[in-house]
Order: sequence, then C-alpha cells, then structure tokens
Amino acid sequence: MMDPTQLTIAEASRAIREGTLSPVALTEAYLDRIAALDGELHSYVLVLRDQALKAAQMPARGPLHGIPIGLKDIYKTSGIRTTAGSRRYLDHVPNEDAETWVRLRNAGAVLLGKQETHEFAIGGPDFTLPFEPARNPWNTAHYPAGSSSGSAAAVAAGLCAGAMGSDTGGSIRGPAAYCGIVGLKPTYGRVSRRGVFPLSYTLDHCGPLTRTVEDCAIMMQALAGYDPLDPASADMPVPDYRAALTSRLDGLRIGVVRHFHERDAVAQFGADSAPSPVYAAAFDAACRALESLGARLVDVQLSPLVDYLDANRLIMLAEAYALHEKDFRERPQDFGHHMFARIALGAFLSAADYVEAMRQRRELAVEFARAIDGLDAVVSANSTGPAPRIDAIPTYSTFERASYTGPYNLTGSPALSVPIGFEDGLPLAFQIVGSPFDEAGVMRVGHAFEHATDFHRQRPPIAASLP
Amino acid sequence: MVEEPISSERFAVLVEQAGLTLTPEQFDELREGYRFVARMQKSVRRPRDRAAEPAHIFVHPRVEG
Repeated sequence: MMDPTQLTIAEASRAIREGTLSPVALTEAYLDRIAALDGELHSYVLVLRDQALKAAQMPARGPLHGIPIGLKDIYKTSGIRTTAGSRRYLDHVPNEDAETWVRLRNAGAVLLGKQETHEFAIGGPDFTLPFEPARNPWNTAHYPAGSSSGSAAAVAAGLCAGAMGSDTGGSIRGPAAYCGIVGLKPTYGRVSRRGVFPLSYTLDHCGPLTRTVEDCAIMMQALAGYDPLDPASADMPVPDYRAALTSRLDGLRIGVVRHFHERDAVAQFGADSAPSPVYAAAFDAACRALESLGARLVDVQLSPLVDYLDANRLIMLAEAYALHEKDFRERPQDFGHHMFARIALGAFLSAADYVEAMRQRRELAVEFARAIDGLDAVVSANSTGPAPRIDAIPTYSTFERASYTGPYNLTGSPALSVPIGFEDGLPLAFQIVGSPFDEAGVMRVGHAFEHATDFHRQRPPIAASLP
Repeated sequence: MVEEPISSERFAVLVEQAGLTLTPEQFDELREGYRFVARMQKSVRRPRDRAAEPAHIFVHPRVEG
C-alpha cells in the first residue's frame, strides 16, 4: 500500500471517507516518521503519541476527520504543555485551548504534537533556548525561517499533514517560502487569536501551513469565523473556500508590486537586501504564468517599502515590549539571547512614537485599499533568495533587512505564500495578497498557479517514504 | 541604511529610565540595535493633518449572552 503520509489533506480525507485508509493507520505512519526523522529536523518540541492514537479512534466528526496536524507551541492546549519556546513557560500547562485548536479538533483533526517556535514568536533561531531550532528540510544546514519554523519544517518534511502558525511580520509566509510549502496569513479578524500567546495584539494573525492551496482551503473552512471572545474577531460570512478554487484566471486583474524588491530593497536597506538574479527571474516567470492563465497584470505603485516596515516593526516592538516589560525588568535571565536583544529595544520607544506609527499605519492601509480597489489580487515578492545557513542569522536580522511580508500585517490583508521555483536546491516563493476577507480570492489565484506549475509537487528528499 | 550609534553616556540614561538591568554585553548589543529604533522613530514622525487618526480607535466591547 502507498505511504499515506505522501497524501495531501484532500487525498487523505477522501481515502478515509471511502474507507481505504484508517485515521489510526495514517496517524501511526506520521508518528513513525517523526520518530525516525525529527532527531535531525527538531520540528517538534512535544510529540503526543498516545493522545494522537486515541484521538484517531474517535468517530467521524467533520471534514478533517482523522487528519494529523501540528500546532506551533504558542497555541494553548488544555492539559498539554505549552512553552512559547521559552524557559519562562517551560513547565506551563494551560487549562484552556486556543479557539483555533477547538475548531480544528471539532472538525476531526488529530493533534500529533507541539511544534518548535522562536521564543514568543520572535526570538530565534536561538541556540541558547531549551529547544534546538528547527532545520530546513531541504538542507538541514539551512534556516527554515521563523517564527513558525517547526510547523513549516514538519509540513514540508511530511511529519504532519498541516499545521498552524502565527504571523506578525511574516512568521507564516517566511517559513512557507523557505520550506517550499503554502502558508496563509488570513485577514486580521478572520481567524481567532484567542488562546495563542500574543506577540503584538494589533499585528498578530493565526493561519495554516499546508502542502497545497486546496489543503489550505480545507483547513480555513474549519478555522474561519467569528469568535465573540476575541476582541479583534470580525463577524463576517465565511464562503465555501474549496468551491472558489478554479484552474483558470480569465478576466481577473492582478496588480504587481515590483518596486518593493526591484528598487526599494537596495535603496532603503542596502546591497545585502538585493534580490538574487534567480529570484528576480522566478518572480517574473510566475507573473507570466498568471498571464498564461488568463489574468491581466497591472503595475501597482505604493509608498516606499521602508515606510511600511518601519511602522510595522515599531508597532510590534512597542506592543511586545509592553507585554514582557515586567519580566524583562525582574527576570531577564529567563529569556533567550535573541528575544531579549530584539524586544528590549521597545523600552526606548515613547507613547508618541507608537501613536505616530499607528497614524502611519492608517495612511498606508488606506493607500493599499485604494491600490487594490478594482483589482482581484496583488502579487508581491516574498523572501528574495534561498534560505541562508541557520548559523548565519544576525541578532537584528528582523530590523536590518528588507522584508516583503510585514506590509500586509500592517494593512491586515489576506496574504498567501506559494512556491515559485528553486535556487541551489532551496525553494523560492511569492505572495498573493487580497482585499480584506477575500481569502477565497487569493486561494483561487494560488490554486490556479499551482495547477499551471509543479513547484508545490516537489518535495525535499527527507519527505520520501521511510524504507 | 546605517545610522551612527548612540553614545554610551546617552544610552545609559535611556537604559536607566527604562528600568532595565543589563550585563555589559547586553548594553553593547542593545546600544548597537538602538540605531534601528532611531530609524523607526524618525520614519514615522512626519507632517500630518491633526485629523489623521491612528489605525486603532476605541471600539465598544460586545458582551455576549
């Protein structure tokens, strides 16, 4: 019989419904892979073998029945240790579940374990933490990006069928890009943040990491929707995401944000932020693929990239520092090097700085809303080169380099990362960005793109079936 | 985009005001990182109409059930 861990969520669900695959067999197969391979990848900080096998025996509950997933270890799980990747919470066992995990479990998902994260979703990769940083499945000497590092690495390596990450400046889409999988940051307010350790209240988003856009749509169907106990949650109707997927894009108008990576990156952040020639060519080829699917492309001009990033990063620093100030003052030794060095910078911001950044945020959100008005989506670069070595990430990488994901945290837009090629055997990706609450639209574009290309079908060697 | 580092004396004042206790290594590293804060502060302070509101405004909470 075929190795069931090679199946997508859509394929495994079909096999389970048709009775040709049992949730127990599927869960056992994933647990075997974790046991065999995760010593090299470090994508899990806790594996729940007994609980997972017990959950796999439950009667059918919903569209994710029997699908084994992982949760970034900032998602609270009742009765199960949730560390946020920090010594501060090393023995923390919550008595509540993240709302997102409740929804996935109610849809039938099986929890394989908790996955490695940068400390409090910002401090990594940090070799001073209790947990070894996750490695890139395409080359374990390289960085899988963060902060949803373990989740992305596990999905790419076939150590779970899907996973949950969080994204404050790109922590779902960056790891998705470097690991060659799909990652969606939904619209701010679309997916509940309740029960997830916050990094930055107004910028945090929760979303899925999967191997295909169709799988992303299946997970989003379970995740999306109003949560009255999350103050940011939006009471908006949830469409049928899978039904929105098509193989053609005839009649669609798609904007292309070129100046962020073609001009602004080097002009505003220096030569180290220059896109690689291979990336530039892959981005252009991806745009041509969208045209070949029937879309009409138009250039989009926004404010300089640095305007978006400085506002995004200042707001994140201010909100994160406020969250950790007491501990930073009273028990700084509890934090890893990167977490402390990065977030302590928030101590030097003023209230006026924060308000000014929030005023800039509104201006830029309005600008982006006007730019995308009349368009069906916008494409924008993601990380503009292959994953660097994991031992070559500077402490202040978060602030000194160009990033193409942060602007869409600032605007709260839905943004999907999709693979567009490879460089030196490592994946490359771009983003498809939509109007607020149009996750269906960005997934439609992403699915059609997948249909026309085969990048998402390429898997790292470590993802091959066990002998 | 390279800014000049803040002087040690000036940065020591900021650290004291913040109530942080830093090792010498942390002091040096944060002083080095402060240039990013300075850049962000400069970047978001620009002429704006007084009516330009921040992105977050007060919203009355909903009490369910």
